[in-house]
Amino acid sequence: MIIEAHGLRKTFTARRGRGKTEEVEAVRGIDLSVAEGEIFAALGPNGAGKTTTVRMLATFTVPTAGTAAVAGHDVVREAAKVRERIGYVSQAGGVDENAPGLESLLLAARLSGHSRKQAAARADELLAAFSLTEIALRPVKTLSGGQKRRFALAIGLVNRPPLVFLDEPTTGLDPQNRANLWDEVRALRDQGTSVLLTTHYLDEADALCDRLVIIDNGQVVAEGTPEELKKEVAGDVVTLRVDDLAAARTLVSAQPYIKETRAEDGVLRAYLDDGEHNLAALLRALEVGGLAIRSISLDRATLDDVFLRHTGRSLRDAA
Amino acid sequence: MFRHTALFLGYELRNVRRNPVWALFGILQPVLYLLLFAPLLTGTTRGGTLGEALQMFTPGAMMMIALFGSLFTGFSMINETRNGTLERLAVSQAWRPAIILGRVLKDMIVLAFQALLVMGVAVLMGLRLSLAAVLLMLLLMAATGLFAASLSYGLALAIRDENGLSQIVQFFALPLTLLAGMLLPVSLGPQWMQTAARFNPLYYSVEAGRSLFAGRLSDSAIPVAFGLFIVLGALALSWSVRSLRKLAG
Repeated sequence: MIIEAHGLRKTFTARRGRGKTEEVEAVRGIDLSVAEGEIFAALGPNGAGKTTTVRMLATFTVPTAGTAAVAGHDVVREAAKVRERIGYVSQAGGVDENAPGLESLLLAARLSGHSRKQAAARADELLAAFSLTEIALRPVKTLSGGQKRRFALAIGLVNRPPLVFLDEPTTGLDPQNRANLWDEVRALRDQGTSVLLTTHYLDEADALCDRLVIIDNGQVVAEGTPEELKKEVAGDVVTLRVDDLAAARTLVSAQPYIKETRAEDGVLRAYLDDGEHNLAALLRALEVGGLAIRSISLDRATLDDVFLRHTGRSLRDAA
Repeated sequence: MFRHTALFLGYELRNVRRNPVWALFGILQPVLYLLLFAPLLTGTTRGGTLGEALQMFTPGAMMMIALFGSLFTGFSMINETRNGTLERLAVSQAWRPAIILGRVLKDMIVLAFQALLVMGVAVLMGLRLSLAAVLLMLLLMAATGLFAASLSYGLALAIRDENGLSQIVQFFALPLTLLAGMLLPVSLGPQWMQTAARFNPLYYSVEAGRSLFAGRLSDSAIPVAFGLFIVLGALALSWSVRSLRKLAG
């Protein structure tokens, strides 16, 4: 295991006006284990405690309670050893806007112990890998969001870490850059680097990660591979709009192939396996029951359905 | 440790070299003071010459950049608390004090260059200086800069708000300037003012500068000012390094 965390907690003391303080529990007891060579995601809404968790694992923030070992070393007692073995790309990126990206990259390389010559070689390698060679000498503030993010990533990888933390790596990127970044993350795994990333995008966690935890309110509410988690809910989901929601729910729930139903905002969601076959039966049952259907759709269950099941609300609504 | 400080210093100096305009802008104010204010003082000196007025006034004008140029240097760091740069450096292998130390050393070097230019202008205007006075003045400027820049980074990390920092610097700027006798020596004023000035560390650097420029190299004001600013600088530096640790909450 490259990350092994038990009961991580972080309580911040926030100032509220004159002399008043308030305790904010950002993380309330998180257990995590990430295997070597895995892309592991922490999925959750904004404010769930994902960033604080990553910051504790990356030795930036000291946990209030709990322990964590990263790359075999304790994050508090052996922080210096952990820092040698990780790359950390924060949400803000942390690339000096006023200098050319190459300068930041070279400084990071030299700080990690490279000689001048080694640093130049490593920088060339990373610039080529992230298609940054052409813009290496331009001030970072003149680059696009995607280019800045690639520089941040290159800087995070300068010491060839076995583990990289990526905090919200695709937030604010357009779809094209997002897809490119996914490819870059997969390439990292193919080279044997472990990745822990946080995201509030369902499709990102689903498409990219090998395993994930869903975090809500500072706690882990579910853990597994995307497939396992979705299977827990059901393979498919039928979304129905009808006039009489309560009657429809009673009728749909009574069907033997329906595993679970959820009514919310005038919409009924019915979870079932083998939806293509069972949809016909469901339609017949609704017709026999005399319920007028306004709309109906059949989709694969997503991680949002998993989130909904565990927290009672949709990730789209959870701010 | 030393290596990381040198790396940060080199990085910062390359930034200055790419954009030296701002550092040159910094000397505009003291040079304007020399050109447009010092001549007004010729009447107040014994011999009534511009050279004498410059001897009295130049050290004060130079301390203005040592203090105010450096006190504003923390602004760049406020941005770095937000754009993730400090966050990234804090979890890198960098020796943490080097992050601040490299920047402070850069400020001290820039300040020494600015001081040299200002002294050059004063000499062109008729001030006469010995080499020893020039060298000691450069060191005194650097010592003052060590304190002011460290204080500024400490304030930046503690406040983390551009408006707050600018208000605090502005608030202290004028009383500190006047009570250090930067424009006119405090000795011209009443006793209470002279007493109050003794609680202002800048008073000692301005006085030491005047002694240097007047050729009184053995004046006790000089070692007092050096001692004071090295101690204050060390305190401010360690405070700002500690503030860096608190960044993570």
